[in-house]
Amino acid sequence: MTSLVIDSVAVGGAAGPPSVDAVGLGWTYAGRPAPALRDLTFRLKPGRVLLVLGPSGSGKSTLARALAGLVPHTLAGEWKGSLRVGDLEIERTPARFLGERVGLVFQDPDCQLVMARVDDEVAFGLENRGRPRAEMQIRVPRALREVGLAGFEPRATGTLSGGEKQRLAIAGILVARPSLLVFDEPTANLDPPGMYETLARIAELARRREHTIVLIEHRLEAALPLADDVLLLDGDGRQLAFAPAGSIGRETAAMLEAGGAWVPRAWQGAGPGAAAGAAGAAGAAGAAGYAAAWAGGAAGAAGRTILPGNQLLLRATDLGLSYPADLSGERRALDRVSLEAHTGERIAIVGPNGCGKSTLLFALAGLRRPDRGTVGLRAIARGGDAVEDMRDPARLGSEEISARVGLVFQDPELGFVARSARDEVAATDRAIRSRGRGGLIRDRDGTVPSTDADGVLARFGLGGLAEQDPFRLSQGEQRRLSLAALVLRPPAVLLLDEPTFGLDRRGTETVMNLLDELRRTGQAQLLATHDPRLMPHCDRVLALDRGRIVFDGPPEAFAADPPYEPADPWRDGSIPAETAVAAEAAEGAP
Amino acid sequence: MSFGAAPLTPVRPDFLTRVTPAARLAAGMTWLVASIVTLDPVVPVRLTIAAVVALVLWSGLPLRRIPRRLAPLGLAILSLTVFSILLAGANADRSLTALAEFGPVRITAPAVSAGLAIGLRVVVIGLTTLLVFGPSDPTRMADSLVQQWRLPDRFAYGTLGALRVAPFMADDWGVIAAARRLRGIRSPGVAGRIRDAGDRLLVMLVAAIRRAERLALAMDARGFDSGIRRSHFRELRVTWRDWLTIAVALAVAVMAVALPR
Repeated sequence: MTSLVIDSVAVGGAAGPPSVDAVGLGWTYAGRPAPALRDLTFRLKPGRVLLVLGPSGSGKSTLARALAGLVPHTLAGEWKGSLRVGDLEIERTPARFLGERVGLVFQDPDCQLVMARVDDEVAFGLENRGRPRAEMQIRVPRALREVGLAGFEPRATGTLSGGEKQRLAIAGILVARPSLLVFDEPTANLDPPGMYETLARIAELARRREHTIVLIEHRLEAALPLADDVLLLDGDGRQLAFAPAGSIGRETAAMLEAGGAWVPRAWQGAGPGAAAGAAGAAGAAGAAGYAAAWAGGAAGAAGRTILPGNQLLLRATDLGLSYPADLSGERRALDRVSLEAHTGERIAIVGPNGCGKSTLLFALAGLRRPDRGTVGLRAIARGGDAVEDMRDPARLGSEEISARVGLVFQDPELGFVARSARDEVAATDRAIRSRGRGGLIRDRDGTVPSTDADGVLARFGLGGLAEQDPFRLSQGEQRRLSLAALVLRPPAVLLLDEPTFGLDRRGTETVMNLLDELRRTGQAQLLATHDPRLMPHCDRVLALDRGRIVFDGPPEAFAADPPYEPADPWRDGSIPAETAVAAEAAEGAP
Repeated sequence: MSFGAAPLTPVRPDFLTRVTPAARLAAGMTWLVASIVTLDPVVPVRLTIAAVVALVLWSGLPLRRIPRRLAPLGLAILSLTVFSILLAGANADRSLTALAEFGPVRITAPAVSAGLAIGLRVVVIGLTTLLVFGPSDPTRMADSLVQQWRLPDRFAYGTLGALRVAPFMADDWGVIAAARRLRGIRSPGVAGRIRDAGDRLLVMLVAAIRRAERLALAMDARGFDSGIRRSHFRELRVTWRDWLTIAVALAVAVMAVALPR
């Protein structure tokens, strides 16, 4: 063991960027029936940037963990083949000794910061390697400068924004001078400004050519220009292709698309090499399609008096809400927010982190009492042809409120109430029946008997999983289950906090289709989201900034003139200016 | 979405914020011992006064926010005191005169004294904990215990990691409650409520374990517990303030116990 330590410490840093060689690499997590990675064989040359692409469950994160030695050393499972970073064979080098060779940035900024203060956080990796204090005092501020956080040393890590936290995590690995950097969906949890600033840092690192970089990122418009090579995985962890990024053509794009991954718009038609060009064309065509689907569904239910948009379901008037901030007195979370939502309307609520989106959802659901202003919610009556009175959700009993408003959380796990998927779907219906009340709750189109939980599961693609514990489902399955649980007793107004967060294209499409199905009951839907790709599927966009509504209008108008800086990522998740430069530099490199 | 209270951190540097956490812990322990060795309420009253004086004069903590932070503890103390008084064995002793009598319930002076002593002891523990842990962030405490008391890294920083996960648990608890309310899930009766609380707790623990696992992975990836002897970015020097703090705390503890009551 000791000799290993000395070896890796001695080799780390000095030797320049390493190559990455995989030969027949495979990995199966202990207790899982199927392998997460199967038979990967590729050679990434020193100093190049590899973009790893694939749908959810394709083993991208597992590859990242393997490069950092967490697989097979910290996590249990079965290893096959070989993975070498430079001259180090991962299988024989425990994760903790790889620290000066490999740096890994994870997806969730809140689950990788260990310390309470910014400078302590950066120093953590050096402390673990027993570096002398004098050296740390030089390297810590330097690493912070590198990620644009100079002067942040005494700040509490908890007070940083998402983008700042992620840059801090990058500083925390750069400080150890690793020669291989691995980014595992580093922007997936960030709002567009945070995503922009994090990608800009990664682009700069890529441009400097001092590291070999493995980047897992599903915002391809931004990531592709940085890549020299692309590794393509399928949904079962198999290697579909390993090729220079420039040689990726329609065929590969089609494979990716079939696998359910996000594909840049440029690839969808323009062919190879043009990824950076086609940024502007917004996919507004979607909105009309969704509206048509809605109309069809509504027309099918004969005798309905509720039509899209003709009944008011939610009215919030002049909401004000503040909570004490840490030291600086009062911070206003909502400031004179008024909004209405009608039957079948879908509204995107957008804005930077901390703009009050979540607070607004909680206030609308009656979970947080506003300091001023009122919230009124209506239920759609049984039979779906009338609406009930406006009521304040904060004053309603649990059974009355469930007919008026539902909330789907970013982390669906926290909303689960049952031990099996079937019970999860039936829970609300069962609870209401057991109390002998149900008059308030409407029927759904009459197509599903109200106790048919299994039928709902089948329609939501969860057919074989009725007995499964909701906690044991995959991320995408959990998201679908959280929506399926709303079908038997659909609330008149559905609030969703980042409903497509972390999902690939297929997962996102599935969620949107399921939302369409729920909307056919006349439901109004409010989506708090960072994902600009959802906007075309909404009727209205409501933008919040520091608790105020700064935009309220159709998605096309929002896309044309977003009220935020930096505006670029809002347009369509496109490329920060510097990264385009980096891509050009990459073209010229050998 | 934040349901949990923001951590109570010092708003200005003060005497106790400059004392190393290990020294504060040692000083605090003298008070805890002193409050436990006696059975009457006088010692905890004296220590409570001393603790309040120290909080106001030397802790650097935002005083206005302390009462709200301690409110849940206050409720616990109140109920503990009341029940200790009502259920004390001395109440059954017919040779003692009752201070008050409601039907079958008698309350005697020794019962009141013993009940107050128990309640006040918890007050002392609460305030002392605030004095020990309040004036610096948890990282400092972990550094201090590792550097000065030679506690194992894995234990100290592992606990620190757990502390980082704790505020999320408070948030999760609120979210879980909200989800159940909106889904119309509420089992009738006392048994139903207890079952509901158990379900909520389970969900919260599952979420907390997931978070802790991810944090542990991140720590391992950065070379934690690699077998190399850890160095320390922030050196904690023992100064005269440390010794003075311990000496004064010890003196107060001895006086609280020894002075005539």
